Amino acid sequence: MIRTAPAGLILAASFALASLSAASAQQCGKTGGTLTYVYHPEPTALSTIATSAVPVAIISTKIYESLLSYEGAALTPKPSLAESWTVSDDKKTYTFNLRRDVKWHDGKPFTAEDVAFSVEKIVRPYSSRGRVYFGDLAALETPDPYTVVFKLKDAVPFFMNVFQPGETPILPKHAFSGIDVGTAAGVRGAEIMQKPIGTGPFRLKEWRRGSHIILEKNSDYWDKGRPCLDQVVLRVLPDGAARAIAVETGEVDLSPMSGLPEAEIQRLSKLPQIVTSREGAEALGPNMWLEVNMREAPLADVKVRQAISMALDRTRIVDVIWYGQGTPGIGPIVSSSPIFFNEALKPYEYSLAKANALLDEAGYKRGANGVRFKMTQNFLPYGENWLRLAEYIRQELGKVGISVETQSLDLGGWLKAVYTDWSFNITSTFSHNYSDPSIGVERTFTSDNIKKGATFTNSMGYKNARVDELFSKVARENDPAVRKKQFDEIQQILHDELPVIFLMEMSYTHVWNKRVHGLITNGISMYSSWAGVWKE
Amino acid sequence: MMPAKLWFVLRRVLQVIPVVLAIAALNFLLLHLAPGDAADIIAAQSGGATPEFVAELRRSFGLDRPLYQQFLFYIARLMTFDLGWSNVQQRPVFDLIADRVPATLLLMMTGISLALLFGTLLGILAAMRHRRGIDSVVSVLALLAYATPQFWLGLMLIVLFSITLGVLPSGGMMTIGPDMSAGARALDVARHLLLPTLTLGLFYMAIYARLMRSAMLEVYTQEFITTARAKGLSEARVGLVHAASNALLPVVTLAGVQIGHLLGGSVLVETVFGWPGLGRLVFDALLQRDLNLLLGVLFVSSVLVVLINLAVDLLYGFLDPRIVHK
Repeated sequence: MIRTAPAGLILAASFALASLSAASAQQCGKTGGTLTYVYHPEPTALSTIATSAVPVAIISTKIYESLLSYEGAALTPKPSLAESWTVSDDKKTYTFNLRRDVKWHDGKPFTAEDVAFSVEKIVRPYSSRGRVYFGDLAALETPDPYTVVFKLKDAVPFFMNVFQPGETPILPKHAFSGIDVGTAAGVRGAEIMQKPIGTGPFRLKEWRRGSHIILEKNSDYWDKGRPCLDQVVLRVLPDGAARAIAVETGEVDLSPMSGLPEAEIQRLSKLPQIVTSREGAEALGPNMWLEVNMREAPLADVKVRQAISMALDRTRIVDVIWYGQGTPGIGPIVSSSPIFFNEALKPYEYSLAKANALLDEAGYKRGANGVRFKMTQNFLPYGENWLRLAEYIRQELGKVGISVETQSLDLGGWLKAVYTDWSFNITSTFSHNYSDPSIGVERTFTSDNIKKGATFTNSMGYKNARVDELFSKVARENDPAVRKKQFDEIQQILHDELPVIFLMEMSYTHVWNKRVHGLITNGISMYSSWAGVWKE
Repeated sequence: MMPAKLWFVLRRVLQVIPVVLAIAALNFLLLHLAPGDAADIIAAQSGGATPEFVAELRRSFGLDRPLYQQFLFYIARLMTFDLGWSNVQQRPVFDLIADRVPATLLLMMTGISLALLFGTLLGILAAMRHRRGIDSVVSVLALLAYATPQFWLGLMLIVLFSITLGVLPSGGMMTIGPDMSAGARALDVARHLLLPTLTLGLFYMAIYARLMRSAMLEVYTQEFITTARAKGLSEARVGLVHAASNALLPVVTLAGVQIGHLLGGSVLVETVFGWPGLGRLVFDALLQRDLNLLLGVLFVSSVLVVLINLAVDLLYGFLDPRIVHK
């Protein structure tokens, strides 16, 4: 007994040491160095408040932080600017205790005032999803400089997901003194949108427009010993092939978020020095579908929509058009969703015979020329894959007697045609699930989202009272099992009624040089701080 | 100065004002013909937004006002030489343009001057050796260089010099990061400039070589060449001095016209090589419906063209008095 106790102690101590060294090894395999990544288009601002477009979200999440950080695909909350938190039993009060040793990049101290200001004055009114996140906020209290209390009108099941650095960035209140935060123009035009002052592991060193952005290590970072890297550099290379060459030659270390043409990703994945991965974007869940304008016959007929769904071969779409960068689409929630996907959904089979039979049944017989009816299609103008998809759809639907004319518009024109004028028949597009279907999926399918001029909403004119009811309940339901059931029913209805034709679950593929480590940490890895990323 | 000449200058300068105004109006209306606006694009790039958010953006950009009000506002701004504010990039339009001008000028000037020099020389050489080996070689090469798509040529040069040989950078205008002395920086930029200049220059060189060759051949048929030869001048002197100097006119005229294009840069070459020039700025602005920025660039370049034309007209007026009295 006397002998074992010290042995136990020694064992415990050595375990502690081992785990400590393991932890620090995990932290930085090596310190120093520059990580260069390549992306196009260039960010238009360095804050996701101005726009949360992909290039802006990647770079600004290294500069700004939020109350929480996340671990794993399902986004388990971890401390960040908040070191601890409590949630009341009725899930209506969230209390966050802030770190006391955090400084802004300009040296001023970070306090609860900054959090209250950011959420109430900036994120809620001016971030594109601010009203979804904080619409139920009844009061935000700051009892002392290091405590923030959120009081909600209703319990919001996804509330712990909203404190992502790209979605709810905390900005310094003092940078907005003298700025009219009552107008979008005042906020978007503020100097801080171009010259950021954050709390994150990196701060802006240089921005040469059209060429590059250099972020340098924040030596005052609250997480001592981090970041591992000295610099993060964004290089702007507009040509896809040129970006791939830069990755291949090692001139750049990383091309995040499917920044390379799919054919190039396929080619590079065979090189020994290159790693490609589709992990690390689970909480984005990009889902590609055809939005169907259901306001007029024949597309108002569910049989016609089902026939279209059966006339398209999803495996070919994935393998041939998208070079394997995805999986066949099934329903509104992507199958990679760690929690919410309905496993019972049966994908529509590819059968021209059944599609023809359904169209006959719906009363659209072939005319003398073999054509049942004519329609137009638009396609999302995001590059040549989308054009090739449109070509494929035209050809495939032609086989079942639907004559399709393709209309080509640039992004501005396409948005207006689909979401403002509703002057389309079908169009390809994609939408993000985000970290919770109440955030990402609801907006496409509820009838109160039939709003002219609101982009990526219910362009189809789809109305189903049960779907509306379920979405409204599920956004306030706090029992995970009940939520799962509600989402299952929603998925089944949308799968059967097909207000959109599900085509492909897209993947965000990241391509990097083997010498880079620690990139994939959670479901929003490219929108995370990269404080623990290191380079050999 | 004679009153007739003074009147001529005054008239030409005054004529510029309505021309510039008309260009401004045309630019404005043309850009408004394109469907969709920056508010839609910003909302879409953010993954969609509420209608209130889009409406607020539109209001803050002034896009909710009637078109005539937007137009009057735009003209009033131009009167004070204010190019406005880029709603997408959140910076003054003037700054955005000024940022890109040096890169564009460097690339275009180097490319076009080298092309002019070598193109003219090759053209002269081909014409002087008409229907001989060197003529065929120059003609075929010029045709090839002229017909090769620039983006393809650029990529092939990258494959050869960056991947296979590993001697030149694949893109960008400079090595990012390290602080360098001015001399080292200049060398670094020169290294980055090489491939884009070659890509751009070969195309223009082909044009000038073909033009120079045909102009020379035409001059060769004229009587003063026969006279020169009859005087016993050497063939080299006939070609280089008598024919070439006369054949240069169309080449110089064309090069003059192309100076007008300088400011536009070359979207293709800038895209392939990640060169931070004006061409790409305009292209991105168009896709993002960055109205004020587009109007700004179009306005500056059209004013430049008008001013160059004015200068040429005035010069003609002094060189050839008949024009003044027309």
